[in-house]
Amino acid sequence: MRHVVTQNIREAKPLTEPVLLILTSLAAHPRHGYALIKDIESLSGGRVRMSTGTLFGALRRLLEDGWIERFELEDTARQKQGYRLTAQGRGALQLELDRMKHLTRAGFARLRAREAI
Amino acid sequence: MRRAYKFMLLLYPRGHRDQFAEEMMRVFEEASAESRAQGRAWYVRFAFAEIAGLIGGAAGAWLASEPVPAVPVTSGSRSRNTQHELIEAQQRIDENIAGMVHAIANHQFERARLLSEQERQAREHLRVLQENSGAQNMEWMVSFPRQFAPETRAATLRRRARRPAFLHV
Repeated sequence: MRHVVTQNIREAKPLTEPVLLILTSLAAHPRHGYALIKDIESLSGGRVRMSTGTLFGALRRLLEDGWIERFELEDTARQKQGYRLTAQGRGALQLELDRMKHLTRAGFARLRAREAI
Repeated sequence: MRRAYKFMLLLYPRGHRDQFAEEMMRVFEEASAESRAQGRAWYVRFAFAEIAGLIGGAAGAWLASEPVPAVPVTSGSRSRNTQHELIEAQQRIDENIAGMVHAIANHQFERARLLSEQERQAREHLRVLQENSGAQNMEWMVSFPRQFAPETRAATLRRRARRPAFLHV
């Protein structure tokens, strides 16, 4: 099983930063466009302030790949479209986070090994 | 700035505009109001970032969009775009099945499950497209065999990415 997970991590293509941030932002709950921009800004500690062009370009790709889906929001007057993660998107995010965890562990292990010398 | 932004949205392909332009405009207006409240320098920075994002986004959307049909669509015939969408949906199903077979043969069961889910979604997408275009029996596809159908850039990239590693030379 561990072998399969490692193999999947190896095969999965790394996600771009906007895509990773969008998927992470939608992991907790669905959001509309502006809420995504604000949440991504706060997620990245103010480092990433996504423009609308970048945001909607990434959203279009994610919709095409079936990683997110669009739905009508009922409770707000202005923002009518919301986005939420699909099971496939959740799986892709999980794979990417596993890949990053794997890399982080390897990085720390090497740092520790260097310090021990 | 609002008018300039609206004008620049024309840089996007029509499909993208139909799907997102209204929403992009709404989000831009909210973001614009917020950055204006933070001062002139902040607003100028915001405006430049938005223009750069729009140009980059439009270029990406054009690269990912389907090729323009070379033959004009005659009145009464089905839209060429719909044919493209149907063909691409069918190709996606075929690719998923091929990938699934490859994954199972290599004991990559998690990947096979993921592809199976993608295949189910692709079938659903095809069904919706068929319903919308009234092409349940797909008889028109007989005159447009799959192996000669033009491939979209997105489909080409997907196909290449799914080739076994030993084919990447």
